[in-house]
Amino acid sequence: MAVAAHAGFIGGDTHDHIHPEPQGFIRKYVFSLDAKVIGIQYMVAAFLFFLISGLLAEVVRTQLLVPRGAILSNDTYNGVYSLHGSSMVWMVIIPLMTGAFGNFVMPLQIGARDVAFPWLNLLSFWLFPVSAVILFSSFLIGAPDAGWTEYPPISVQGPAGTSLWCIAIFLIGISSTMTGLNFMVTIVKMRAPGMTFTRMPLFVWASLATALLNMVATAALSAATAALFMERQFNVPFYDPTRGGSPLLWQHMFWFYSHPAVYIMILPGFGIVSEVFPTFARKPIFGYKMIAFSSIAIALLGFMVWAHHMFTSGMAPWLALPFMILTMVIAVPTGIKIFSWLATLWGGKIHFHPAMLFSLGFIATFTFGGITGVFLSSVPFDYDAHGTYFIVAHIHYVLFGGSVFALYSGLYYWWPKITGRMMSNTLGVWHFWLTFLAFNVTFLPMHLLGLWGMPRRVAQYQLHPEFQFWNDVASVGSYVLALSTLILIYNMVQSLLRGRRAPGNPWNARTLEWMTTSPPPYYNFRTIPAVLKNPYNFGEPLPYIGLDEAESAGSTHPPAGSSPLPAHA
Amino acid sequence: MAAASSFNATHEAITVRYNSVDHAYAEQRDIRLLGFVLFLISDVVIFSAFIFAYLYLRNSVPNWPPITKGGHQLPRFDVAYAAINSTILFGSGATMHSAMESWKRLDKPAFNLWLLATIVLGIAFLGGQGYEYHSAQVTWAGSTMGASFFTLTGLHGFHVFIGIIYLCVLYLQANRGVYTGSKYFGLTAGTLYWHFVDVIWVALFFLFYLW
Repeated sequence: MAVAAHAGFIGGDTHDHIHPEPQGFIRKYVFSLDAKVIGIQYMVAAFLFFLISGLLAEVVRTQLLVPRGAILSNDTYNGVYSLHGSSMVWMVIIPLMTGAFGNFVMPLQIGARDVAFPWLNLLSFWLFPVSAVILFSSFLIGAPDAGWTEYPPISVQGPAGTSLWCIAIFLIGISSTMTGLNFMVTIVKMRAPGMTFTRMPLFVWASLATALLNMVATAALSAATAALFMERQFNVPFYDPTRGGSPLLWQHMFWFYSHPAVYIMILPGFGIVSEVFPTFARKPIFGYKMIAFSSIAIALLGFMVWAHHMFTSGMAPWLALPFMILTMVIAVPTGIKIFSWLATLWGGKIHFHPAMLFSLGFIATFTFGGITGVFLSSVPFDYDAHGTYFIVAHIHYVLFGGSVFALYSGLYYWWPKITGRMMSNTLGVWHFWLTFLAFNVTFLPMHLLGLWGMPRRVAQYQLHPEFQFWNDVASVGSYVLALSTLILIYNMVQSLLRGRRAPGNPWNARTLEWMTTSPPPYYNFRTIPAVLKNPYNFGEPLPYIGLDEAESAGSTHPPAGSSPLPAHA
Repeated sequence: MAAASSFNATHEAITVRYNSVDHAYAEQRDIRLLGFVLFLISDVVIFSAFIFAYLYLRNSVPNWPPITKGGHQLPRFDVAYAAINSTILFGSGATMHSAMESWKRLDKPAFNLWLLATIVLGIAFLGGQGYEYHSAQVTWAGSTMGASFFTLTGLHGFHVFIGIIYLCVLYLQANRGVYTGSKYFGLTAGTLYWHFVDVIWVALFFLFYLW
């Protein structure tokens, strides 16, 4: 890396970080160095994988329509839910949160021309579709069958595709680490002049906390999957208890990553709704600093709670207690955010735009999922609910009702900025209500099923035919959920084909990405503006100086000598 | 935007002040330095994860070195041999430091000498480790001790190998005039990396040989 990296500034002629805009198709759209293009690449690829893993979920729900399993053999079923989980976590939500919105929005919001290391960014992106293809191709040689968590010894003995799973997760882990590093340097070093830490938009704060998690925690995942791969391929004993290894070792290493990973999947979502609420309530955000600092608090506490996934794995009872208490503590910064958002809405002039609806829906469903999370943090309750559909319900309330709702909100919010076209609000409202209702119809009954004792990851439940009714309700809900996605696809297509042209700032928002054209030019801003205040003071003049009012004229060449200055300037 | 125009003069003044080439260089150097340090931190996490695995596995059996199914205890690793090899690596840290200091004094012949010495010592260390692997009485796949030993020292050896290649590149670049007396970020990064590899070895030496 370093060899190629410093070649650029040997001549000393790099003071505005502007690479000349490439013109060829390959360099402009395929191997692009522009964070905005890379963001769109992430978005397109991850949306494709979202549809594929969504279809896998529909297969799961179809299988569970009848107690003896409708369509699949038990083995195939194991592969289907394992890949649904793995792909939704690593190939959909994390790439969308950091890769897509992080790359497109974050550099614009801090007034930078690009991320700190564009080549690294390019590499991060291209590892992603490669690892996704490796992951899905494991179906050809026997898909991994131990769930997305791949606990040994089952995963050690599992089908050949489990090794492909290891490779894919290792590569996407490396990609995440590099993105985290890149974003961290970008946010710390490349903010517009005057943008102190406490003047950063809240999405940037969330991205910073996420970058920290990505950089530190993901390396542990890489080590764990590398060890699993070595054990499977070269018979090296790490996890096999018959040879001195320990399955619990995997659980520790895996959850040391995967618990922070749930915050990787939700923190940028917190950032998105923190942008949407003030804009569509036309009010300053309530508790700016508390929201910002609680992101960091969540990131730090997130490293100290991993063993709450292991209460039933046979850990020492005295060790369970601190993990239980810390897990309950981590709900506090999250609660601070939720009350701050509610206070932002209080007395605001609320516009029920689809982005706002999804953010409001996010508060409802994410809080619900957060509360069942506090239930589960309690050791006695966890003994009862562990490994049941209650867990499935909880994770979908936080990952779908939380992360995906926030992503939808962000999509409706930034779509005009990304594409330069407006979407249909009517279709967006339909999409929201169908999604919201179908989501609850699908996942609410799973709490009941779990409390009645239905275990997760089963291909049939013949001993308990009384579970069928609520399983069928959930399946019907999931079909409607799939249909609601079609509305979104239709909306996006019709917007791209014949949507109204978007102005630079269609929502009268105040963060920097709205101060340039839609879509933004290659170099983001002709002149990098200086920042005087945090962006949420609705009712005051915009806190920027040096904005180019002719920006919308859309010149294709940046002026000479325009420089992103260090934040202390 | 009316209010903004009155500030434009200020903004321009700031822009001009910071537009000198040296400032641009310093800014880029800081960006790269932070990126490099963060890279090293994430690398520390990878080593830490494997070290955690080693401690965990070691802690989960009553005897260490572990007792095989056949009933005999595995031998300990040879401290004396490893100590000699470690001295070579730590010595290369010292020569690397001298190389960097020579560069800052603009003493290029000394720089070349010290850097070449570092490369030679690095290769000697790898050779010594190769011999240790060759004559080891435990195997990678044979026991948890072998698994953690060969994985961790192998990962470290891989880092040394990459470091040697990097130092060779730096040697060529420095002699082609890529770096100057005030602009030498590549050398700084190489030095940081080499010391990092040294420090990791201190931990591994303690964990596998002394303890």
